[in-house]
Amino acid sequence: MSMGVYFRRYWQLYALLVLPLSYFLIFKYGPIYGIQIAFKDFNLFQGINGSEWIGFDAFKEVFGMRDFYITLRNTLMLNFLDLLVSFPAPLILAIMLYELKTAWFKKLSQTILYIPHFISWVIIGGIVYQVFGTQSGMINNLLTSVGLEAIPFLTDKNDWLVTYLLVGVWQSAGWGTIIYLAALTGINKELFEAAGIDGAGRLKRIWHITLPGLKPTIIVLLIINLGHMISIGFERPYVIGNLAVREYSDVLSTFVYRIGIQSGQYTLATVIGLFQAVVGLVFVLGSNYVSKKLTDESIL
Amino acid sequence: MTANTTKKRFIASKTSMLALLVVSTMVFTACSSKSETSTNGGDNGKPADGKQVTLKVEIFDRGNAPAGSTITDNYLSKFVQEKFGNNNNVKVEYVPVPRSEEVAKLNVLMASGSDVPDIVFTYDPNTFNRYAKQGGLTDLGPLLEEHGKTLKTFLGDEVLEYGKFEGTQFAIPAKRSITGKYASFIRQDWLTKLNLPVPQTTDELYTTLKAFKEKDPGQTGGQVIPLGMTIASAQYEPLLWSFIQSMTEEQQYTLTQQLGSNDYPVLLPGFKDGLQFMNKLYNEGLISKDFGLDKDKKKMSEDIQTGKVGFFSEDDINIYYKDGTYDLLEKTVEGAVLSAVDVYTNDQGKHAKPQYAPNGLYIMVPKSSKNAVEAVKYLDWMASDDNLFNLQNGIVDENYTLVDGIPVTNENPTEEAKNRLFNSGDLAIISNGKQLGSLEDNLKARVLSMPAQFHEQLAIAQEIAYADNIPLVVLDRPIEAQTKYATTLLDKFNEIIVKTTMSKPDQFESTYTAMLKDYMASGGQAILDERTAAYKEMKSK
Repeated sequence: MSMGVYFRRYWQLYALLVLPLSYFLIFKYGPIYGIQIAFKDFNLFQGINGSEWIGFDAFKEVFGMRDFYITLRNTLMLNFLDLLVSFPAPLILAIMLYELKTAWFKKLSQTILYIPHFISWVIIGGIVYQVFGTQSGMINNLLTSVGLEAIPFLTDKNDWLVTYLLVGVWQSAGWGTIIYLAALTGINKELFEAAGIDGAGRLKRIWHITLPGLKPTIIVLLIINLGHMISIGFERPYVIGNLAVREYSDVLSTFVYRIGIQSGQYTLATVIGLFQAVVGLVFVLGSNYVSKKLTDESIL
Repeated sequence: MTANTTKKRFIASKTSMLALLVVSTMVFTACSSKSETSTNGGDNGKPADGKQVTLKVEIFDRGNAPAGSTITDNYLSKFVQEKFGNNNNVKVEYVPVPRSEEVAKLNVLMASGSDVPDIVFTYDPNTFNRYAKQGGLTDLGPLLEEHGKTLKTFLGDEVLEYGKFEGTQFAIPAKRSITGKYASFIRQDWLTKLNLPVPQTTDELYTTLKAFKEKDPGQTGGQVIPLGMTIASAQYEPLLWSFIQSMTEEQQYTLTQQLGSNDYPVLLPGFKDGLQFMNKLYNEGLISKDFGLDKDKKKMSEDIQTGKVGFFSEDDINIYYKDGTYDLLEKTVEGAVLSAVDVYTNDQGKHAKPQYAPNGLYIMVPKSSKNAVEAVKYLDWMASDDNLFNLQNGIVDENYTLVDGIPVTNENPTEEAKNRLFNSGDLAIISNGKQLGSLEDNLKARVLSMPAQFHEQLAIAQEIAYADNIPLVVLDRPIEAQTKYATTLLDKFNEIIVKTTMSKPDQFESTYTAMLKDYMASGGQAILDERTAAYKEMKSK
C-alpha cells in the first residue's frame, strides 16, 4: 500500500489525535516560553518582552532566602515520608480486597474506601479540626474525659506530622487500589490453582504469584512518585497546616503562592517553578535509570 | 493568547489553585472581549462627541445575587445607567471579580492590558504601590481638578493623601465613615453571679479570668474559656497594643512596621511583655489551646454562642447582628448578658487601641484605560447630590424611613426591597460605610441598622472603639521593603504570637529570640533600615 492510499484510508485516525496534540502544544509546551520571566525583572504592565533582563539575579535572591531552604526541606521530607507510609497502603489494601470472595462485601468495602478521595481538602481540613483539635476535638474530648492528657495532634510539630501522614493515607489509599486491582485481574488464574494444588498456602501464593505479578505496576508508580518528590500539592499542606507547625507545614507550593500570587513577585515564583521542574526531571531520569539496571523495568 | 497570560500559565502549573485562576481568566477574557466589540464598535480611541463610550467598572462578586438579578445586571446597575450613564452618553458595564481572590484576579486583569476595566480597586496598599511603581496607573491629579471637584470636597485632603505615590495622585481612596475598631465584651451575668466588679485594668482582668476558670460560673463542666482568643487581629491587637510603652516620635516612625493597611508593633517597646502575658494566660489554661488554628474566629464565635467564653475583644459591631453571636447566645443560654467594656490598659493608664485608617479601598484607573475622564466623572457623580445616599439606602418607605434625617432600615422589607441593595456596599465604592455628613450621624445610623434590643449596648461599644485610639504612623514616602515583604512578614508576625504564646514558660525567651531573628532576616530589618532613612530625610527637610 502506497503512502497516499494509506493516508486516504486512515486519515481519520490521525485527525483524532489533533485535539490531544494541540492540547499539549498549547498548554504544556507553549508556557515554556514564559520561563524567561525567571531571568527578567518582570513588570506586569510591560509584559514579558518589555521587561528587562537581569540574568541570574533572581536565582541569587531565591537561593539566599532562608524560607526557600526550609520549604524545600519540608517538601522533600513530607513527600519522602508520604512515600514510606502512603505508597504501600493501597498495595496492601488491594491484595486484601483481591483475596475476598464475597462479591457484595468486596464492592461495598471498595466504595467505602473510595469515598474520601472525592472529598475536597477544604472539607477534610474542617473534619480534621473537629476530630484532632486539642481543646475540643473528638479524640481529645475522649482522652480528657477518662483522665488522660490531651495530645496536641495539630499544634505539636511531630504529632502534626503523624496526623498529616495518616490523613493522607485515609484520603488516598482506597483510590490508589484501583490501579493494582486492575493489574491483578491480568494475572492468570491458573497460576493460583496450580500453586494451590502444589500445596502453597495463601501467604505463599501472595508472595510468589500476586506480588511478582504486580511488580511492573509497582515500579511504574514508584518512578512517577519519585518524579513528584520535589513538587507537592498545595491544598493538603495549606489546609492541614497551621501557624504553630509552620516549621514543617510550609512547603514550596505554599511558598510560591505567598511570593507569586499574594506578593506579586512573579520572577521569584518562576525561578522556584523552574528549579522544581529541573530537579523533578533529574529525579525521574535517575529513578528510571536505577530501575532499568536493577529490574529491567522502566517507563522510558 | 497574549504573552502575558502565557507567562501566567507557566507559574500556574505549579499549583492547582493557580491553574484554576488561569482557567477563570481565560473564560473571562473570552467574555469581555466579545462584549467589547458588540458595544463599543471596536472604537477604542477618544470618544468623539455623540458617540457612546463604554466605561468598565470592577465589582466584587460575592456570589449572593438574588433571583432575577445578576452581579452585572440589577437594580443598582440600572440606577447608575439611568442617572449617570444616559446623561453622559456612557454605557456603564460591571466586570465581576470574585471577592475571595481579589488581588490575584486583579493582577491577571492588569497584565492582560486591553481587557482591564477602566476602574479597578483593592484594599491592599502594597498592591497599589506595586502598580504605581511599575508605571501602570493613570495620574488622576489633573483629572480630579478638572472633573472631580465634588469628589475632592467629599473625600477631603487627609483621605486623598493616602492615594498618593511619591507625590502623584495614582489612586482615589474611598472614605471610611467610621474609624473606630475594637471594643471588649464580658459576661455580665458571670460577674454578678460571682459578685465581682467589672475589671478596669489588665491586672484586674487577670484576676477575673482566674475566677472564671476556677469557679466556672457558666457551669460548662470544665470547658470554660475565660478569654476568647484567636489569631485574628480583633482578638490579639487590643491586648498586645495595650502593652506598648510610651515612645519618642523617632521610635514611633522608625520602629513601627506597616504590613498591609495596618501598623504592627513587633519592634515597639513593650511588645515582648504583651507576648509574655499571653504566654502566661495560655499556660494557665485561660485561653483556648487551639487559638492558633482559629484564623477566621469561627471557633471562638461558636464558643461564645454556646456560653463557654467569659471575656473577649472584637470589632465593636460584630456580635450585634441579627442571628449573630449575641443573638444566638441569648437563645442558647438563658439569662446570658454581654456588656461592652474597655479593660486593657497601658502604662499611662489609657485604654490604647488601634483604629482604622481614614480610607478604605484604593480606586485606580489603569494607564491603558482610554476612559479616564469618564471614570473620574463617574466617581464624581457618585459623590454629587443624593446619589451616594440613594445607592446606599434604596427607596424611601420601601427600604428605609427617615428619622431626624437619619435613614432607619425597615425591619421587615419586602423581598424586592431587600434584593435591591444586595451589592450596595460593593457598588458605592467611594465610601466605606454609610455617609450622612457627620461622624455623629454615621454612628447613629449604624446603631439604628441593628436589632432594637442591642441599640443601647452598641452605642457604648462604638464609644469604646473611639476611645484612646492610637493614630497610624504616616510616612511621606512609600517604603519599598514593606511592599515587598508584607505578606511574608504578616505570616511571620502571626507565627511569633502563636509560637511564643504556646511555648513552655521556661522556653519563652529562646522561642522569642529565635522567632524575632527570623522575622528580622526575612525583611523586618530591611523595613527598619528604610524607615530609619525615611525619618532622617523627613527631619532634615
